[in-house]
Amino acid sequence: MSVKVEIVTQFEEVAKQQEKTLAPLSDELVLLDSGLDSLCLAIVVARLEDKLGIDPFTADDAEFPVTLGDFIRVYEDARR
Amino acid sequence: MRNVVVTGGSRGLGLGIVRRLLAAGYRTIAIARKESNPLSLVMEAANRERPGSARFVAFDLAEIGEIARLVKALRHDVGEIYGLVNNAAVGFDGVLALMPTSQIEQLVRVNTLSPIVLTKYVVRTMMADGGGRIVNVASIIGFTGYSGLSVYGATKASMLGFTRSLAREVGRMGVNVNAVAPGFVDTEMTQGLADEQRQQIARRSALRRLPDVEDVANAVEFLLGDNARSITGTVLTVDAGNTA
Ligand SMILES: NC(=O)c1ccc[n+]([C@@H]2O[C@H](COP(=O)([O-])OP(=O)(O)OC[C@H]3O[C@@H](n4cnc5c(N)ncnc54)[C@H](OP(=O)(O)O)[C@@H]3O)[C@@H](O)[C@H]2O)c1
Repeated sequence: MSVKVEIVTQFEEVAKQQEKTLAPLSDELVLLDSGLDSLCLAIVVARLEDKLGIDPFTADDAEFPVTLGDFIRVYEDARR
Repeated sequence: MRNVVVTGGSRGLGLGIVRRLLAAGYRTIAIARKESNPLSLVMEAANRERPGSARFVAFDLAEIGEIARLVKALRHDVGEIYGLVNNAAVGFDGVLALMPTSQIEQLVRVNTLSPIVLTKYVVRTMMADGGGRIVNVASIIGFTGYSGLSVYGATKASMLGFTRSLAREVGRMGVNVNAVAPGFVDTEMTQGLADEQRQQIARRSALRRLPDVEDVANAVEFLLGDNARSITGTVLTVDAGNTA
C-alpha cells in the first residue's frame, strides 16, 4: 500500500473509532480542521509507526506539519 | 496476559512490584541497566510456571535519545502494553550548595526527563490500543521536606504534577494515570540512612513502623487492576502514616 493510502486509511479509522466527523480529505486541508484533534493525530502517528515502521516526528527538530499534504510529504520523505 | 513494563524492576521496590504483578497474573517486562540475581530467580520461577511471563530488558534510561527505539522494540516483541510503572530513579543526597551540577543534571535526567519521554512513547500506543494504566512512583519527599534531598524532592514533586495533568489529557482515551508516594522503605537507595534516623522516622509515623516493599507493590497492583478503573489523577501515599 502506498504511504498516502495508508495515511488516509488511518485518518478514516481513527475518526470512526473516536466518533469524529472527518472533513473531506485533500492536500490543502489544514490538519486542525480535519475533525481530528491533537490527541487523535497522536494516535494516527502511533498507528502509522506500527504500519510503516517509521515515526518522522521523533527527531528533535521535526516540526508538526500544517496541512495534510505536508503531513504525507513528511512520511514520503522519511520512507526514502 | 496483560503486559506491564516496570522500570527499575531489578532491585528494591521495582523488584517487589515485578514479583507482585507476576503473582497477580500479569506479564512483566523489567527494565534496568543490569539484571540482578534476585530478579533472575523471580523470573526463573515465574517462567517455569507460566512460560514467557517474565522478561528483562537491559537499558540505560539516562539515554533519552534511545527511548523511542526501546518502545518500538518492546511493542514489536511483546505486543500491546497495558501498564507502565515508572519506578526507576536515583537517590543521590547532599546539600544543594555543594552538589556538583553534573549530579543535579543526572537526577533530573533519570528521575524526571526519562520517565516523561518514556511515557510519551508508551501512552501513544496505549491510546491507539484503546487504553492502559500508568503508575508513577513518586515519594513523600515530593510534598514534605527533607534536608539533603532538595533536588531529589524536586524530581519527585515533578512526577506528581505530571501525573495530574497527564491524567486530564489522556483520560478520554481510556488511559488512567496515578502516582504512588512511598515513605521511607528499606532498599539500597536508603542504605545511607543511619539506624537512628530510621528509628526516628518510624517513631514519627502513625503506625510506628516503616512501610515495606510489599506494601508499595500492593498499592501499584491495585492501581493497575480493574478495581481502580475509576481512579485517575490521584496520589496514593504508602508511608505508614508518616505524613498523616
Ligand atoms: N526506598 C525508599 O525509601 C523510597 C521512598 C520513596 C520513593 N522511592 C522511589 O521508589 C523508586 C524505587 O526506589 P528503590 O528504593 O527501589 O531504588 P533502588 O533500590 O536504588 O533501585 C533502583 C532501580 O532503578 C534502576 N535504575 C537506576 N538508574 C537507572 C538507569 N539509568 N537506567 C535504568 N534503570 C535504572 C536500578 O537498576 P540498575 O542500577 O541496574 O540500572 C534499580 O532497578 C524510586 O522512584 C524512588 O524514588 C523510594
